[in-house]
Amino acid sequence: MDAILAGLKSLFDTLGATVMLPIIIFIFALILGAKPGRAFRAAVTIGVAFVGINLVIGLLWNTLTEVAQAIVKNTGIQRDVVDVGWPSAAAIAFGSVVGLWVIPIALIVNIVLLVTRLTRTLNVDVWNFWHFAFIGSLIVALTGNLVYGLIGAAVAAALALFFADWTAKAVQSFYNLPGISIPHLTSAPIVPIAIVVNWIIERIPGIKDIDLNTDTIQKRLGVFGEPIVLGLVIGLVLGLIGFYNVTGGFFAVLGKVLGTGISLAAVMLLLPRMVAILMEGLIPISEAAREFMQKRAAGREISIGLDSAILIGHPAAISSALVLVPIAILLSVILPGNRVILFADLAVIPFVVAMTAPVLRGNVFRMVIAGIITLSLGFYIATAMAPLFTQAAVASGFALPEGAVQITSIADGFLWTPYVFVQLTGLLGVVGLLIILALVGAGIFLFNRNQRAWEVAAGAPAEAVSGD
Amino acid sequence: MNQQRVKRILVACGTAIATSTLVAVRIKEEMAKRGINVETRQCKATEITSQAQDVDLIVSTTPVPSGLNKPVIQTLAFLTGIGKEDVLNQIEKILKEM
Repeated sequence: MDAILAGLKSLFDTLGATVMLPIIIFIFALILGAKPGRAFRAAVTIGVAFVGINLVIGLLWNTLTEVAQAIVKNTGIQRDVVDVGWPSAAAIAFGSVVGLWVIPIALIVNIVLLVTRLTRTLNVDVWNFWHFAFIGSLIVALTGNLVYGLIGAAVAAALALFFADWTAKAVQSFYNLPGISIPHLTSAPIVPIAIVVNWIIERIPGIKDIDLNTDTIQKRLGVFGEPIVLGLVIGLVLGLIGFYNVTGGFFAVLGKVLGTGISLAAVMLLLPRMVAILMEGLIPISEAAREFMQKRAAGREISIGLDSAILIGHPAAISSALVLVPIAILLSVILPGNRVILFADLAVIPFVVAMTAPVLRGNVFRMVIAGIITLSLGFYIATAMAPLFTQAAVASGFALPEGAVQITSIADGFLWTPYVFVQLTGLLGVVGLLIILALVGAGIFLFNRNQRAWEVAAGAPAEAVSGD
Repeated sequence: MNQQRVKRILVACGTAIATSTLVAVRIKEEMAKRGINVETRQCKATEITSQAQDVDLIVSTTPVPSGLNKPVIQTLAFLTGIGKEDVLNQIEKILKEM
């Protein structure tokens, strides 16, 4: 087994993600029952997407590396870990050796847990399997052991299903989404934090009555939701700090500053577009996987697991994210010991806070507090994991520029879930993975024993909901 | 068939990437089968208001702001596979009545 996997890894390293992933996707799509023509076109599309993502990430890294180094020189502030955004993280994850196997692994984990009645969620959100591959690829970067990475990805898939079941009733009632659950590892990790925040705030007189008006926030701060403008402004500000004193006079400074602004605005628009191509290529396989799974789960009362993207339009999610964007930028400057400079994933903050809304009854003030705690913690997690993140990117074939800074992203480099996986595996090897597996198992066991209480804790209405 | 201009559909979700791509590709393929020429554009939930002006129809997988003055379909049918035909028929009807 080890020899086969090692052989595959070296084949993969030689050919690279742009070649290997299309081949694998083509084969999986056929196995799952997609038509050959469609599967072939999808496979090639995925290879093309990787080329596109690589180009844009190159632009991003070059621009940010240059300006980050200039800022360090000018101010002495050490911010040399650059936030390259979840599109890069997803590409790194799917482009890793673990990424090749994550689709069948997560499907098998889901089928096994459904058959054993340990989950009620049918996760058809194949796209977001990248979160599992991300954790796996970090473990491989840390240990060099592909088997550990694959186990890590499998455990992460089970963890996502546990979170989805736990929060299903809460999400269904708050967001009015009957039959849906959210097995999403960017959105779920904040739920325990939100429960604690809520418990504390409920006990502070005065503070517990504060709420914020979502309409006013959306009107006043709407600009923070427009990626191009955000990219431009951040680029201009960073450019000013880094290049106000470049030699060559006023026009040289102007050229550098405006150039940085436009480059970063370009990245903000182009990076998601490139990832949309990747998504397009995954459609036949994700649809085939959905039909494959639905056929096998027929007749059961199940929730269909979808992307938390469907929650983001809610005013509470949008508003708290808009408030959090400037706060997050401020945090990145003032937190001592932080080395992360935020950029591409400022757009992902709604995903981080969306699932707190049921627990916090859509109270934007409390959502912002939960967000601040999660992000503050995140800066240190991200700073600590940046070397691994960067190493995983290189292993997936992304070309880091000469003398480049390290990289991270809010999704999922800021989150405690991958950190726990990486730390425990780093300390204890396979034993660490088994501990995490045991913890997930204990979570599932306790949830099933006392389902109502857990659901109410995650924000489900206290009175019984119909059916069960 | 009369000479009809291309219908523009704005497809919105949380990212303008993940679920909206799936919906956009599906709508394009299915409407082509039904002989309706559509062009889709994707946007984030936060951008709907500024992008809604020059489109004929908005299809979203996530809640949309009120007061857009355009027909809006909020649906998960393309993601779950449940009720997909109904939604496609609804889209066809709206576009043909234009």
